[in-house]
Amino acid sequence: MQHSYGYFEEDHLGQIGNVGLWRRLLIFVAPYWKWVSLAVFLSLIVTAASLALPRLIQLAMDEYILQTRLSIDQRVSGLLYLSLIFCGIILIGFVANFLQVIVLEWAGQKIMHAMRQNLFVHLQRLNLSFFNAHPVGKLVTRLTNDIQNMYEMFTSVIVTLFNDGLKLIGIMAILFWMNWRLTLLLSVMLPIMLIITLWFGRLARDAFRKIRTNLARINAFIQEAVSGITIIQLFLREQDTLDRFTDLNRIYYRSTIYQIHIFGLFIPLIEVMGSVTMALIIWYGGREIIQDHMTLGILTAFISYMRLFFQPIRELSQKYSIVQSAMASAERIFQLLETRDVLPVRSDPVVLNDLQGAIEFGNVTFEYDPGHPILKDLSFRVEPGETLALVGATGSGKTTIINLLERFYDPGEGDIKLDGISLKNFDPHRLREQIGLVMQDVFVVPGSVRENILLNLEADDDQLERLVQLSQLSALVNRLPDGLATRIGEGGMDLSAGQKQLLAFARVLARDPSILVLDEATANVDSETEMLIEQAIQAALANRTSIVIAHRLSTIKRADRILVMDHGTIVEQGTHRELMAQKGVYYHLQSLQNDLGRNEVIPAGGRAPVRE
Amino acid sequence: MKPGGKTDATSHFAAEKAAKEVNPWSAVKVISPYLKRYSIRITVGFLALIAVDFLQLCVPRIIKNAVDDLQAGLATSNRLLVYGAIIIAIALAIAMLRFVWRILLLGFSRRLEMHLRNRMISHILTLDKAFFQRRTTGEIMALATNDLSSVQLATGMGLVAAVDALFMGLAAIGFMAFIDWRLTLMAIAPMPLLAILTRFLSSRLHRRFKRVQEQFSILTEYVRSSFSSIRLIKAYNQETQQAGRFDRLGTTYVRDNLRLAAIYGTLFPLSGLIGNLSLFIVLFFGGRMTIHGTITAGDFVAFITYLFMMTWPMMALGWVSDLFQRGVTSLDRIHALLKEQPALRSPAGAEQGISIRGAISIRSLSFGYPNQPRLVLKNISLDIRQGLLLGVVGRTGSGKTTLCHLLARLYPVPSGQILLDGTDINRLSLATVRGAIAYVPQEVVLFSESIAFNISMGRKDATWKEIEEVARAAAIHDEIMAMEHGYQTRIGERGVKLSGGQRQRLAIARALLLDRPIIIIDDGLSAVDMETEHAIIRSIASYLKGHTCIIVSHRLAPLADADEIVVMEEGRIVERGTHSQLLERSGFYATIYYQQTSLAGASELAGRADAT
Repeated sequence: MQHSYGYFEEDHLGQIGNVGLWRRLLIFVAPYWKWVSLAVFLSLIVTAASLALPRLIQLAMDEYILQTRLSIDQRVSGLLYLSLIFCGIILIGFVANFLQVIVLEWAGQKIMHAMRQNLFVHLQRLNLSFFNAHPVGKLVTRLTNDIQNMYEMFTSVIVTLFNDGLKLIGIMAILFWMNWRLTLLLSVMLPIMLIITLWFGRLARDAFRKIRTNLARINAFIQEAVSGITIIQLFLREQDTLDRFTDLNRIYYRSTIYQIHIFGLFIPLIEVMGSVTMALIIWYGGREIIQDHMTLGILTAFISYMRLFFQPIRELSQKYSIVQSAMASAERIFQLLETRDVLPVRSDPVVLNDLQGAIEFGNVTFEYDPGHPILKDLSFRVEPGETLALVGATGSGKTTIINLLERFYDPGEGDIKLDGISLKNFDPHRLREQIGLVMQDVFVVPGSVRENILLNLEADDDQLERLVQLSQLSALVNRLPDGLATRIGEGGMDLSAGQKQLLAFARVLARDPSILVLDEATANVDSETEMLIEQAIQAALANRTSIVIAHRLSTIKRADRILVMDHGTIVEQGTHRELMAQKGVYYHLQSLQNDLGRNEVIPAGGRAPVRE
Repeated sequence: MKPGGKTDATSHFAAEKAAKEVNPWSAVKVISPYLKRYSIRITVGFLALIAVDFLQLCVPRIIKNAVDDLQAGLATSNRLLVYGAIIIAIALAIAMLRFVWRILLLGFSRRLEMHLRNRMISHILTLDKAFFQRRTTGEIMALATNDLSSVQLATGMGLVAAVDALFMGLAAIGFMAFIDWRLTLMAIAPMPLLAILTRFLSSRLHRRFKRVQEQFSILTEYVRSSFSSIRLIKAYNQETQQAGRFDRLGTTYVRDNLRLAAIYGTLFPLSGLIGNLSLFIVLFFGGRMTIHGTITAGDFVAFITYLFMMTWPMMALGWVSDLFQRGVTSLDRIHALLKEQPALRSPAGAEQGISIRGAISIRSLSFGYPNQPRLVLKNISLDIRQGLLLGVVGRTGSGKTTLCHLLARLYPVPSGQILLDGTDINRLSLATVRGAIAYVPQEVVLFSESIAFNISMGRKDATWKEIEEVARAAAIHDEIMAMEHGYQTRIGERGVKLSGGQRQRLAIARALLLDRPIIIIDDGLSAVDMETEHAIIRSIASYLKGHTCIIVSHRLAPLADADEIVVMEEGRIVERGTHSQLLERSGFYATIYYQQTSLAGASELAGRADAT
């Protein structure tokens, strides 16, 4: 339920009078100004057409229908002539209306598309720490619902608002031109209506906001109750849950009733104002006719125009709240766009050529949250071609080492060097090209297996075939209906966790990086896949500097050196054999389980009781 | 969510839909009790609404009289003043009546919404796990939000608009016919065209709208998955490619929207076009009749006023039929939900207030999920004496969780296969069985409330001392105290984010507080490290002396102290005994044990895996 996100934050965002916000919006609109102007122009035609109709009826009445000076035939043919014009204007209005909708939709969608794309690209560029601080659900809401909100404003509000404004002015102008005295009298009503509308707009906005927050609360509650239904039932909390829900539901109900009251007052009030205007027209306009200052046709036109006049006013308040919510969305989007959480990149980065792959962490200290250091004054070296295994409990800092090496973050203190050059001197993109990362989590792009292996690389069939073999994917590929062309991911086939792992190895091998980083995870795989993964790891580690967060004993034993981590520091290092002989933390970690069992300590050296 | 779950749910819906095609209107009986309950309110509301319509129709009559007077030269200033006064008097009456119907009728729809929502939630709380496996949380949310809101719209504004449009339309036609029936026939001639075109276009509108929504959710899912794998995307320098794909998806979305706009760009101006065509007919033919003296000038003006009045009903009818269509479809879905009966119910005449001591016997229990041919549990027999600790181990999918769910009475089981204290659980009430078990699930569900609320949710009467005591036993007390608001810290979106291990330990504390004779921990410590898991299990065991404990874990070592351990594989118990007995047997348990404790060599492992 991403829909519930965001409503809580609405309270103080997006004031309609925020000029800065409008200016930023206009930057996105600017490339499409021609289309937007065309839409506005078309909507002017629509308005002009609808305003012309009562005027034409008035002309028909005064010039022909009620005109006794002409012959009947002349009057009928004049009437026919005007009627045909009338018909033409209707058709023009209809066509213009259609075109206006299409043009506006096109421009609006393009603008929103640009904004969405912009935001997506921008977010991708941000530091990982940004993603730690912002839940994915919220970011998704910004890119989808918030953009959608703004779009509503574009199509249904901005142009109609402009249009309505012009319509009101247009009507006043026509009326003034037809009879200025009557119009002047009617315009006494304007300030009264303005005050009522503004006052109402504020009340309506509050009412809508209350409804939305209460509804969001209800939704959040239902969502929790449904996902926690088992617990509720097992704990016998049904009645209690229902009681709490009923309370929330009643609060929501009250806010909807409040809104009904507000609208129940406002809409009839505007209606009364309309009728008062009508009465004024009849009374004052009628007197003007008696005194021959005005014709009957003009009186009719006045009545018709007044009807057109009140329609936009009724809708104004509703549109106001759409704009309000769109502005809040806009502000949230721009806040994200303003986030400048990007790693500093040197303008003249050091070029990476023929990387040896020597890694050096020198007195590195790092913390995600201030005051909670994850790595403390950490120093170690990895020689070219060496395989280093990291072992330690969850939270000991293993993954953080990888994050720093990939330069997802820069260390707080100390420095990390690659072939003797500080990572800060490299362009992170070029750096990451040199590092192959395999994690438990594998991202699959919607596309063929081939695309998924190569991503942005090119390769001929032979090269690809070799990659598939090396990464132990052959068996899988042979089983797939279309081989390498089989579509996987969203809308395609689903791969198992083990198969995805193999895919990740194929990706790394395709890139042939100088450094391999393996965040090995013991995924739940069958023993056949387990063996394939084993072999793929072997292929990937060959002749490469590697850092492995190891869980499989086979990987740990294969490592040239093992670093045992505890709370951000290295507590032991050496080969498996050395460390087991040391009987220290590593030994404890490995034999922990036995120790906790019935004191059946298994001798060091990793020999299990032989089965045979 | 299981990948298969979704397709199941959709096909279920499809089947349901096919069955319902017969008469969705039968669902209306869901709301009939409320129609009866609020019949006075509804009747008075509609009377007020019709009175408003009637009064509104009177206004053109008054204008007609005024115009006729003016044309005939009979009008005096006083007479006009009277006309104006009448119009204002009518307007005030209309305003009052309008306020009345808005409160009564719209208020009714909101009341209905509240009652239905309460009813749905209270019904959902009684449904069993089988239901929640068929329907995703999202589907249930949609029922309680979108569907309910379309019912509210249909019974509120929809019903009002239907009655209003029908009455106004017919009355306007009646009044027009009263003036001249031939002209009336001509004026309404284009209207059937509107009905036909609207029907034709709305079906396309729905289809294209659906397409837009589908693309929108593809877009949403793409954003979600991209940001979830942001680390890998950066590591592989895939930002540009990801943005490119997003761009293509967005472009498709823009195209779909334009296709939709082409339809509504035609549909919505259409009623205006048809209305204006009627106006055109009246202008020419009515004008000619006025010239020929068949009708008076006042008749002509009134006719035009009535036609203007027809525009609203004409626009409304298309809108209303759409609202009703949606409302009934939604109501039908809600009806289907309310008709769901839990397969699991307390037997009639089950004794209340039985206290369970905690001995469990399972007699050749076999079980498969509804609509799935495969058996998940096969011939399980097990005796757990009161006060003992049973460990259950086995691979993912071996049936451990299912066994726990059956014990906790989440699915129906055949009679005589599970006994509590020697009594068949099918003869005990749900509350008796569930009230005897404290359950800790694998996926912890916490509620967005304080930590204290979450721990004590099963026992509102718990003292602070008790709460702290269980938190200590679950090794979470210190971490809670380290939080800014201690036990009052809020969890969830607006509060702190807990780690997986913290959540699991809270769930343990919550279960301990229940102090029920049986406790089941279904791999409830998978997110803490092995050492902590074992420490917690020990502390639980000593805390729960005399309680029957069933602890499932995918890690074997922490269960080494159990009185008995059963090993499950493909739904069967393949080995059982104490830790040392099982190790001696060198079977499956021993294999996994050595694999997990990393003390066996890789080759040995492979050999063993093959052997099993």
